[in-house]
Amino acid sequence: MSDAERPTDDSGDEFEPIEVFPEAGETDLRPGADDCYKCSTCDTECPVAEVDDEFPGPKFQGPEQWRLKRQDDHDIDESVMKCSNCMRCDSACPSDVPLSQMHNTARAEYVEENMSKLSREYWRNRMLANYRRLAPLGAMFPRTANFVTGLSATRWLGEKLLGIAGERELPEFATETFREWWTARGGPRVENPDKRIAYFHGCYSNYNTPEVAKALVRVYEHFGYEIMVPEQDCSGTPMFANGMLEDARRAAETNVRELAAAIDDGADIVASCSSCSMSLRQEYPELFDFEDTETVAANTWDAVEYLRVHEDLEAELEGTAVGEEFDDFAYHAPCHARNQGLDGQAVELLGLIDGVEAHDVGDSCSGISGTYGWKEENYENSMAIGAEMFDHMDDADATAGLTECPTCSMQMEHGTGYEITHTLEVLAAALVGDGADATGANATGARAE
Amino acid sequence: MARDTEVLVLGGGSTGCGIARDLATRGLEVTLVERGTLTDGTTGRMHGLLHSGGRYAVSDQASATECIEENETLREIAGHCVEETGGLFVKRPEDSDDYFRAKLEGCRDCGIPARVRSGREAREIEPYLAEDVERAIEVPDGAVDPFRLCVANAVDAEAHGARIETHAEVIDLLREGDDVYGVEVRHGAGPGKRSDAAAGTTEEITAEYVVNATGAWAGQIGSMADLEIEVRPSKGVMTIMNVRQVDTVINRCRPKGDADIIVPHETTAILGTTDEEVADPDDYPEEQWEVEAMIDTLSELVPILAESRTIRSFWGVRPLYEPPGTGTQDPTDITRDFFLLDHADRDGVAGMSSIVGGKFTTYRAMAEEIADHVCEQLGVTASCSTADEPLPGSENLARLEAGMDDFGLRSPVARRSKQRLGSRANEVLATDEPNPVICQCEGVTRAEVRDAIEGSGADLNAVRIRTRASMGNCQGGFCCQNMAHELHPEYDEATVRAALDELVAERWKGQRHALWGEQLSQAMLNYALHATTMNRDRDPADATGDVEFAAFDGGGTRGVESRGDD
Repeated sequence: MSDAERPTDDSGDEFEPIEVFPEAGETDLRPGADDCYKCSTCDTECPVAEVDDEFPGPKFQGPEQWRLKRQDDHDIDESVMKCSNCMRCDSACPSDVPLSQMHNTARAEYVEENMSKLSREYWRNRMLANYRRLAPLGAMFPRTANFVTGLSATRWLGEKLLGIAGERELPEFATETFREWWTARGGPRVENPDKRIAYFHGCYSNYNTPEVAKALVRVYEHFGYEIMVPEQDCSGTPMFANGMLEDARRAAETNVRELAAAIDDGADIVASCSSCSMSLRQEYPELFDFEDTETVAANTWDAVEYLRVHEDLEAELEGTAVGEEFDDFAYHAPCHARNQGLDGQAVELLGLIDGVEAHDVGDSCSGISGTYGWKEENYENSMAIGAEMFDHMDDADATAGLTECPTCSMQMEHGTGYEITHTLEVLAAALVGDGADATGANATGARAE
Repeated sequence: MARDTEVLVLGGGSTGCGIARDLATRGLEVTLVERGTLTDGTTGRMHGLLHSGGRYAVSDQASATECIEENETLREIAGHCVEETGGLFVKRPEDSDDYFRAKLEGCRDCGIPARVRSGREAREIEPYLAEDVERAIEVPDGAVDPFRLCVANAVDAEAHGARIETHAEVIDLLREGDDVYGVEVRHGAGPGKRSDAAAGTTEEITAEYVVNATGAWAGQIGSMADLEIEVRPSKGVMTIMNVRQVDTVINRCRPKGDADIIVPHETTAILGTTDEEVADPDDYPEEQWEVEAMIDTLSELVPILAESRTIRSFWGVRPLYEPPGTGTQDPTDITRDFFLLDHADRDGVAGMSSIVGGKFTTYRAMAEEIADHVCEQLGVTASCSTADEPLPGSENLARLEAGMDDFGLRSPVARRSKQRLGSRANEVLATDEPNPVICQCEGVTRAEVRDAIEGSGADLNAVRIRTRASMGNCQGGFCCQNMAHELHPEYDEATVRAALDELVAERWKGQRHALWGEQLSQAMLNYALHATTMNRDRDPADATGDVEFAAFDGGGTRGVESRGDD
């Protein structure tokens, strides 16, 4: 038997991380370093390392740092806070090193053990990570909130007091949240025990862009799905990125419980935000072990991907048109969509619709990466990372942008001034028309029966 | 007749270096000769266990007692070489209850702090322990870096006036009648020599007294003066895991057997070992099945080992000895005690003693006893201080650990560097110059590599054992050439190239027994990188194959054959 055929290689190299200190919820990821042979492909794909000389890159943050660690060491290097959590390293790695899992865990340990809970950075990060907790206030008085957050004085204060980049405009709150609209509408208009989805709308399409959520409702009802909108908390993405693993754990516990119940009721889970679906599918099983975590991960889909698999979406779109509403788009595939293998679908689908084209602006990162680009100290690097995307948007034969990630869309708008649309909105316009349903609870909807 | 030195110590392992330090600090004039790099023999090929004595608590209580005493001493005098990991003797369902009880009682008889842990408690300490481990005895085993410890002894001996001559192979014992009065050495004949005397030159070193501390090689040395020393070398295999699956020493609680110990060692874990007598300590088979059998057996204690990456395997040779006529068949039954053979008493040949047997943990006590003997022979009255005086690097460690200075390094790099350097950290790491990480796997910076070069010359394997550079998961694939680069311009190109070749060869040697799974991928990547950048795929049999590197400097010329004829 040759060495290469040794039986030890048959195990699939899967290791089960183990909680070293069960009370602290710490996980031993050192065995994950076994998969790294230091090729540095992750470092070449890291958008932060490309622009920030102080950032040592994912190979150090992940396998190297973990390998150097001993059980009782608690000195994670502070540079882990510079990781933007774009997770491109995961896809780059030819050897399945659990890089983002290592980063998320190391970051949580750094925040827990090394970051002062009294520091401005901690509170700023906690606020950014817990947008879900602040958003309801803004949504309660959206006009006041939008007026106040839009003031230059507010932005100046935000930067000086909290370290939130003053160049950024805070997103506007919708005057009616998606959930308010959904309740007023009376919930689902299609009942179908055989075709059921539970919609994980996330925070942004609830509080800020309910038009995206409404587009999803129209598209799915068009295909005859019964839509459930279960109770839900933040997906946890901004919390992972800020090392607030305990906050994320609480949110995840709610989400897993509620979504698992929906799965029991025969639903699959769909999300319109690519980071939300990424979180439910990959980060939850990597970081948490609630009952049903794996079930939820295995039954969660990106909303467009789901229709491509379960319906003949291409045939349905063939020959449709969107009229004057939309023109050509510069399309940016978010990193978290790319990680899920979804980077080609929007361009393909829009190609089927008459009068609208999506021009792919390349595979670079937008640079905002959730909360990363909101931090004063990261603003310049965030814009430097985004420069390639801005250039390509500028070159593309379009004056509007298209993407599936809320913060990517903020960055695209910030860098180009273009209006940014979600792919689902275009699909809704093509399949259902401009849908009076979307305008308010009292309108008669496009029933799918 | 004037002699070159008072005492000549043969062998640069733990015993030889310990004796050299002991005698030098007593004020004697000492020369130590070693045929390779320090620790090249048995010392550099051990599992790194600092015994609590628990291992011998049933079979050999005298050794056990000595171990716990020396264990406590080394924690004090060699803190920067020791990691206080603690140890567990774990019992599986098929292991004997009686033996477990005997082990516990034995530990208590020998003054070894021992505490019984339930299987659940043991798994809380070490989460990767097998589910069916029933019970464990917790003892103060530790991990020790034999390289660092040996070098620290040698450095302290030098600081007290000793001459430490590495790469000086003994080619003859000088004997006149019934008196041994020195040795003849050949300089640079061994691997790695890149400084001092010209390679191939010989030198006679005469001494009042010669101590043969060459362990498994003691018989070969003795035969140079027609002295018969019945060393029974016994080989054992050790396998290095890429990461630490355990942070505590794990022993199997059963009478004896192969493959019963896992020692966390720096960034790795070392699996050990086997015990098989060999005829020649320099030439014995290294079999792949020994590695596989060991991983299989130890997976019963820590199942994750079966699917974990190993980075290399190596074999060591124990210098076992038993007095003539004992006739023990199984090498595992041969005592681990040491023997001081005074050839005057034994063979009627004065001027030399040989030291055989023994174990690493008690090297200092052995050295003290031998030094006492040497002093007696030379009529010197001086007392031993090695149990009280910390080794270089271990002074004021408590104060060092309290210090917060990270020397501008990334946290884990700073931590590992400070642990390796101990109290020398500030002297080595505080630099105004750029201090990049040279070895990323082990977190070794340029400053530390340069310090090691200062201490050991252009011998990159000596730099390796001082710093751990190139001992991580890429096994030097990414850093060997960067280490070599640090030799320039102090050493010329030919020297640098030869030093690099030796380091690369040494790194490949141990990997031959780890070429499957991820380490095979690593090796393929290393090979490709070295082949494309350093022409390492040239035909090694082509002795004339000097590459004209200058020819590349002008940029590519189409059609020029750049490779050897492979």
